[in-house]
Amino acid sequence: MDVDLALAVLLQALTGIGTLVIISLGLAVIFGMMRVINLAHGEFLMLGGYSAILAVKAGANIWIGMLLVAPVVVGAVGFVVERVLIRHLYGRMIDTMLATWGLSLALIGGVTMIFGNSVSGFSAPLGSVAIGGFRTSGYSLFLIGAAAALVVCIWLVLRFTALGLIARGTMQNPDIAATLGVSPARVYAITFTIGAALSGLAGGLIAPLSGVVPTMGAAYIAKAFITVITGGSAILAGTLSASVLLGAVNTVGTFLTTPVLGEVVLLIVAIVLLRLLPRGITGRFFRGAL
Amino acid sequence: MRAAPPGIERRQYLLEIGGAIALAAAAAIGLPRALELFAVINATVFVSLAVLALSLALIWGFGGILCFGQAAFFGLGGYAYAVAALNLSDTTYAVPIALLVPTAAAAALGYVMFFGRISDVYMGVITLTVTLILFNFSNSTAGDEWRIGAAPLGGFNGIPSTPPLNVPGQPGAALPPEAIFRIAVACLALCYILAKLVLRSSFGRVVIAIKENELRAELLGYDARLYKLGIFSLGGFMAGIAGLLFASCVFVSPTMFSLSYSAQIIIWVMVGGLGTLAGPIIGCILLQMLTTWAGTLRDISPSVILGVILMLVVLALPKGLLPTAFAIAGRLRRGDRR
Amino acid sequence: MSAAHAVPLLETRALSMRFGGVVAVDNVSLTVAEGELRCLIGPNGAGKSTFFKCLTGQLRPSSGRILWRGRDITGADSFAIARLGIGIKTQVPSLFDGLSVLESVVLAVRRLHSEATSRARAVAALARLEIEHLAGRQVGLLAHGQRQLVELAMVVAPEPGLIILDEPTAGMSAEETRRAAELIRELNRRHTIIVVEHDMQFIRSIASAVTVFHQGRVLMEDRVERVLADPRVRDVYLGKSAERAKIPA
Repeated sequence: MDVDLALAVLLQALTGIGTLVIISLGLAVIFGMMRVINLAHGEFLMLGGYSAILAVKAGANIWIGMLLVAPVVVGAVGFVVERVLIRHLYGRMIDTMLATWGLSLALIGGVTMIFGNSVSGFSAPLGSVAIGGFRTSGYSLFLIGAAAALVVCIWLVLRFTALGLIARGTMQNPDIAATLGVSPARVYAITFTIGAALSGLAGGLIAPLSGVVPTMGAAYIAKAFITVITGGSAILAGTLSASVLLGAVNTVGTFLTTPVLGEVVLLIVAIVLLRLLPRGITGRFFRGAL
Repeated sequence: MRAAPPGIERRQYLLEIGGAIALAAAAAIGLPRALELFAVINATVFVSLAVLALSLALIWGFGGILCFGQAAFFGLGGYAYAVAALNLSDTTYAVPIALLVPTAAAAALGYVMFFGRISDVYMGVITLTVTLILFNFSNSTAGDEWRIGAAPLGGFNGIPSTPPLNVPGQPGAALPPEAIFRIAVACLALCYILAKLVLRSSFGRVVIAIKENELRAELLGYDARLYKLGIFSLGGFMAGIAGLLFASCVFVSPTMFSLSYSAQIIIWVMVGGLGTLAGPIIGCILLQMLTTWAGTLRDISPSVILGVILMLVVLALPKGLLPTAFAIAGRLRRGDRR
Repeated sequence: MSAAHAVPLLETRALSMRFGGVVAVDNVSLTVAEGELRCLIGPNGAGKSTFFKCLTGQLRPSSGRILWRGRDITGADSFAIARLGIGIKTQVPSLFDGLSVLESVVLAVRRLHSEATSRARAVAALARLEIEHLAGRQVGLLAHGQRQLVELAMVVAPEPGLIILDEPTAGMSAEETRRAAELIRELNRRHTIIVVEHDMQFIRSIASAVTVFHQGRVLMEDRVERVLADPRVRDVYLGKSAERAKIPA
């Protein structure tokens, strides 16, 4: 196998891993911090995509649309959802899942009513870049960088800010927030909002890849979930390790067979992993990591 | 809730079974006469989905197993039926095959999950993942090279040529839709009765105990893994029956494995009442009727209605329709006595 | 004394349980002979509960062995251990809240007998514990002390060879505790019993042989009067310097 091909596959793998990281972080924050299973996560992604597209259509710069408008809009949506719905269901995991599933259906239906079923989108910026003997899209490289940047940012916040400290404490023990003088309700509201904003950002970032459609959430939520659960309860270490493993496996599978079978391989590996490590990767390794 | 003394409990139990038989007979005889052909076929779909709801009601409400992927066994039952029927040209032998495949699949998946001591949350993910795998796989089987014997798998189009059930032993004589409706109603009643019988048997009582407190059941010497495997396989069997009925009156396609069906099954059970058998059946039929009606509305998407209902039910009626109805009835009755 | 040559009913050899860096149970070797009534005592955190969970199959020991009548049962599943004829009562009562008292006790014996016999034995067990009047009540609605007795009934009904009780009197009133002590002495006539406790008065009223746990190890093992008089044991309970309670290697 010549170097160019190897490089191409490697880049493909990194893009796949980066995409998994991006779409999973919002969910990881909410699940890791609050043990809430937000089944409307895919729809937050979708709303992020639509926000970015609408912003661009209204004349805004692509980057502003993707990196600013999308997270802000979906963050606001997340805040409202937390106050109106999630707040009443803390501790009731199954009920939260069902309520967010209802939310997901309502959002899909609502967006379909407003925007119809067709695919909208804008083409990926940054054109194509030459690497060795082949060309790859510059946007893929950007995504890899964006994933890395996101991880670093979150790590910095968790490690060095007061918010991060309270977040880490609350993750270990919900009562800690109260003893630190912050109301747990507020911590949860902020966490859910940030998680939603991250999902919105992810939606904006992946919008150029395959366009947005009201039902796009379904494709991503399964992968995001599997990544988060396989990763285990540590937000960063878990999402990263799971993304690396599953993303790599997916890429190799796709490379050797077809994209669909590549997905199947990813799913099978996840099942095997969960069978061997029932608490996810960070349930066994990297314990105590962020 | 007072545990009823054995005599009263037995009477209630016989009443429920009798009621089921009576209701089924009435529907089987009366509905085909009252409805036009199109409505009869629709009704058959509703009934087959009710069997699917019953399968989850059993394993979740009484076995404590939240399976996100009951649709997997639904689809497997349907596809196994279609493939077998097309290959054997006689549905008489296709039926047992169609029932064997989902049951075996449930047993295999159950073995992996229960003997691996996987916890609830992860079990939900795994069952969902399996359904997704089947969905992805069946969607990709377009093209002639994808066939099992005489049956093309058809990719995302499914198998439009799924044959309807024929008179047992007479491959040429396809059964009319009214007859298939009657068979579906009979299957629903039989599955309901079977579920009741199983829950009342010593096996069933251990299953319920395991749901109440798995540790205590094990400390009494019961191997919880085996019991969960048993009830889960039974659920797969019933979901397979639903798939077979569905396939017989419509046709099989990858949507049987879709996320949408997986979601709806759980919604039916929640809305109808987790912990009861009749509730999810009623919930399923009501919601199906609602969705069909909502589909005729031009301006509002059915998803919105379904989604809002689900959120409202979770917030306002967390126990579901049937248990809430019983609670209200109970309070009214107690009010009367004063 | 021929008992010295008989195979002990339950024996642990160098049993240890480690969680990451913490050694909860450290090299515990214990022998319980048939017919004994043994108490395991020690302050909170001494490792009694972890040791209990190793015996009941809830935890798999990190090292060491557990032997039942000479047979190695280390790491066996809980249900397998229960099938050997070991009845277990957990610290927080493990009950079937949604079932009735009678149904719960019937389940305890149903595995071994027919429906009719199971009912009869269940009723007898309830009578033995003087709670027949609770037979039709739903377990989840009972008071704590009653729940403890229901669990005892479930443990006793299958006539186990060994009964292990984890803090059986927790949350019981004085009267209920007295009754429980009486019951345990009476049960000891037919079953071997291991009781994990830290209520000293209760121990005094039932015990013969006592094993004291401290920091995961066995501090001493002797008859109850000598144990309760020992200054090391008092220190361990009152938290005085652990240095003075150093266990000889």
